[in-house]
Amino acid sequence: MDIPDLDELEWLESHAQDDDLFDDDFELDVEPPSPPSSPSLDKPPQRPPLSLPPKPPSLLNPISKKRPGSDLLNSISLDETPNHCLNSNGTNGKRSRSGEDEARSDKVSLPDCPDVFEENKEGSDDEEEWLRCPPPRDTIEEMEVVEEQERILSRYATEIDGDCMPITGLDGERVYAKICSSTEIDEEVRNRKLNFRRDHNGLLQEPVRVMMEKVEQEQFAKALQRSFEGDTVEVVPSLAPVTTEKLWVEKYAPSSFTELLSDEKTNREVLLWLKQWDSCVFGSEIKSTTDDVLTSLRRHSTGSQYLKQSYRSFSRNNRESRFNKDMTKADIELDKENSTSPGIQEMWDKKNKSSGPPEQKVLLLCGSPGLGKTTLAHVAASHCGYRVVEINASDDRSASTIEAKILDVVQMNSVIADSKPKCLVVDEIDGALGDGKGAVEIILRLLSAERKLDTGKENISQEANTGRKSSGKKQKCSVLLRPVICICNDLYAPALRPLRQVAKVHIFVQPTVSRVANRLKYICNKEGVKTSSVALSALAECTECDIRSCLNTLQFLNKKKEMLNVMDISSQVVGRKDATKSAFDVWKEIFQKQKRKSGRSSNNSSNSVSKDFEYLHSLISNRGDSELILDGIHENIFQLHYVDPLMQKTVQCLDYLGVSDVTHRYIMRTQKMSLLVYQPPIAIFIHRLIAQLERKDIQWPKSLQRHRTILAERIDMFHSWHSGISPYISRHLSTKSFVEDSISALLHILSPPSLRPVALHLLSDKERGDLVQLVNTMVSYSMTYKNIKSVRPDTWRHEDEATTIALDPPLSSFIHFKDYSSCHVDLALAVKQVLVHEVEKQKILQGSLSKSTNLHGEENHALAKNNAGTRPTSKFSFTNGAVEKKTNQKSQAVEKPELPKAADEVKSVRKTKKPSGSLTSFFSRIKEVGEKGSEVTNSDVPKSATSRRDSHPFLFKFNEGYTNAVKRPVRMREFLL
Amino acid sequence: MLIQVKCSCGERHCPEWAIVELQGTVEAQPSLQDRIQNLQIGLLCRPSSEESYTLVVGYHELTGSKQRLKKPILVLKKMEVEDDSDSKRVELDVIGVIRHKILFKTRPKALISSRPQPAAKGKISAPASSVPN
Repeated sequence: MDIPDLDELEWLESHAQDDDLFDDDFELDVEPPSPPSSPSLDKPPQRPPLSLPPKPPSLLNPISKKRPGSDLLNSISLDETPNHCLNSNGTNGKRSRSGEDEARSDKVSLPDCPDVFEENKEGSDDEEEWLRCPPPRDTIEEMEVVEEQERILSRYATEIDGDCMPITGLDGERVYAKICSSTEIDEEVRNRKLNFRRDHNGLLQEPVRVMMEKVEQEQFAKALQRSFEGDTVEVVPSLAPVTTEKLWVEKYAPSSFTELLSDEKTNREVLLWLKQWDSCVFGSEIKSTTDDVLTSLRRHSTGSQYLKQSYRSFSRNNRESRFNKDMTKADIELDKENSTSPGIQEMWDKKNKSSGPPEQKVLLLCGSPGLGKTTLAHVAASHCGYRVVEINASDDRSASTIEAKILDVVQMNSVIADSKPKCLVVDEIDGALGDGKGAVEIILRLLSAERKLDTGKENISQEANTGRKSSGKKQKCSVLLRPVICICNDLYAPALRPLRQVAKVHIFVQPTVSRVANRLKYICNKEGVKTSSVALSALAECTECDIRSCLNTLQFLNKKKEMLNVMDISSQVVGRKDATKSAFDVWKEIFQKQKRKSGRSSNNSSNSVSKDFEYLHSLISNRGDSELILDGIHENIFQLHYVDPLMQKTVQCLDYLGVSDVTHRYIMRTQKMSLLVYQPPIAIFIHRLIAQLERKDIQWPKSLQRHRTILAERIDMFHSWHSGISPYISRHLSTKSFVEDSISALLHILSPPSLRPVALHLLSDKERGDLVQLVNTMVSYSMTYKNIKSVRPDTWRHEDEATTIALDPPLSSFIHFKDYSSCHVDLALAVKQVLVHEVEKQKILQGSLSKSTNLHGEENHALAKNNAGTRPTSKFSFTNGAVEKKTNQKSQAVEKPELPKAADEVKSVRKTKKPSGSLTSFFSRIKEVGEKGSEVTNSDVPKSATSRRDSHPFLFKFNEGYTNAVKRPVRMREFLL
Repeated sequence: MLIQVKCSCGERHCPEWAIVELQGTVEAQPSLQDRIQNLQIGLLCRPSSEESYTLVVGYHELTGSKQRLKKPILVLKKMEVEDDSDSKRVELDVIGVIRHKILFKTRPKALISSRPQPAAKGKISAPASSVPN
């Protein structure tokens, strides 16, 4: 109920200006189909009769009961009140019936009440506004009349039966209006709506009015037909053929290569691919006779052939594989002998090139259904002398059954007389992927097994047919020995990805409409069906050149004894397949302008535009993956060559893509999926802007994914670095502001151009100060330079030549934007090396400083010593770098990483030694004090016990395993003197 | 040459000594520098039974047992006696008999708290290996 009302309001608003009698405030009474309320001014005498009916209470009561005072709801139907009254100004009976209707509709509409109520609440502001201003003259007049009888309008709410709502007139008088509704009004509203559409050039293909006419016509035609059929009813059953007819699709399937309807080039390539198998499958001697190179070769090697044949017959009797192998080896040798003769050298090479199975052992045909992929596979295979074994992968679901079948076909020879080699056709291979990826996996396994085989064995398999078989049996792994043709609809099905890489892929394109139409015409002529070529081409176009469905449709129509006419097709009597298009198709549709037939473009342009719109819309929304679609648009849009001198189109397109991005984000955040419907129109808009006739290669959108991973990587890097910085600095660095604002500046700071690449002692005091400051900065930002090895490591000892020194958190990568350089000077290599050492030193110093606070004095002393000690070493390394810079590149490359490293090691050893030395000296000082005067040094006693030890003047020392603790030899004379 | 061994104390009044036998050595702290007189070596205790003794030296506690010597040992004191005929004579005086020894042969137990055991039975006050019982 609510929606018609809103429409009505719209309509009313749009037509309010037309009415000269009333200004906008009076739109309440403007009801187009019924006489607007201006006539009601003239017809006050008509009012009494309409409100006269004797049963008003009975008619109004139900309303009052059913509607417990939802004023706002009532307010909506208020404007319908006079309308209803006018309509029902007939007889009493009519009136009462409408009353009943009203009651019923009330009941019906009751559940809707809350909704309506709410909605009215929302829009209550403006509604009340216009509700509050009924035409004063009108209502007051009415009121006077009505008050006596029915009280549709009254000054007092109590006088009105049922629900009412207050209305304040322009003069400030407040009246109450009764509320009622009726189904009739609804009908009217609907009619009005239909009429109102007439004026707008909507997105509908054709205006509703036309559609209605069409429906009527259709009904009329049907009625006519029915009347005709009345005559033919008796005839039809007798006419129906008793014999079961073959499907036309099968009947007229192309049986020879030349009859193929698909693209000539594809056909040829498939055939060529199959031919490449010849040498492998049929053996070289049976190889295509047309090849004169091979015939000459064969002439040359008649001896070997004889040998082969003899051994073949032999091997049939005696299946001793070893002997076979020997024989085949002999064959090879013989052949090679032939080949060594200089004249045939190139020919042999050529033969070698062409012989053997093709590089890609699997052919993958893909294309939308009905283009003749299966037919091509069958025809080509049989043309090349194979027996086609078709496996429909969507039938045999389980992997094991498929595997058995495939292996059966690929590796066995049939024993029966018909010993044509088999060619495997795996139809709808993408259908077999539900669980376990049956077929694809098996084929891949076969292929990989093939690759592992050494070439010698392959040679054997090439040379001799049966020999190959025996040797193949010996090999554990199964090998692909027969051509395999896979057929799929969607090349980019995720499960086909591995196969796509190893297989030779042919994509079927639609044959031209005329070609299909010609073929259809031919078939129709044969079948004796009368058609027009226009209808046939329309049919072909409609089914997107799906010959199978064309033929089926034709046959169906033929069966029904109906004529194929253009109207039928365009009105989609012919079922269109609901094959979902791949994303690539969608992009293609978006980027390509459709070539319009002259006949169609003669229609008015808005029609075609709306048709286009509808088509694209359904296409995109059927695809459903609007994010991907728009992503692809964004990726490919700049590759298009559209005329746009002022860049306006580009800007618009990007704007719209931005809108879609924002929308998408919002949708994803709030999960309001209903907003997704606004995505396809954006794509369509872009299509309207930039669609071209020319065909473009469309790339799968990868950049988003790539950049996302890079972003994550960088953020990770940043965070790990960030956590390394001491908190008093890092708390000022938020990720965003740092990357956007600070990094460039920081890089500038970190690479001062003033730093000369000279030895440290040559630096002036100022420069030295700069260096110290730089080192301090780097340490506090926990940055250093690091050797970055290039990819290839030569040996363990010698580091790679291309060692470069770069900042350890690679800051510059954070601001690595296209066409942006932070224009900081990259420091010289030598300076970097110095910095590495200095930073390392500074870090250690700081670490040891913070660790030992109680050993302050000594530590400082040690530090001073350290500084004195390390300075020469750093100088040493520095001079190394400087000297070797001048020497030639090669020697530098070898030696340079060595020497600084050595220096580094020396330094680090020193560094670790120095502090520890000072520590021990600290303790040894105490020890010396303790040791003074005592000869016995006791290193075993822990020093920590020093304070306690005074309480124990004696200590016990246990002698392990010493049994003679007390006894010792004493000479007697010691007792005596 | 005759060496006279005499017992100055009367019969059955010879003082009985005991040997404390340690597997190991008792060493003075190097800081004491030989001034070890009147220093306490350790505490010898007989906590429960007659036969088991504990000796606390420094921060080690030793557990040992009392054993009877197969052959008793005399404790003699060498004395030089002026003779009439202007010549010196060596006499050995018996000052004690050792019939028992307390043997500490197990590995010492380290004391974590250095507080000495409260129940002290005997005190060893001299750097001697034998103690009057």
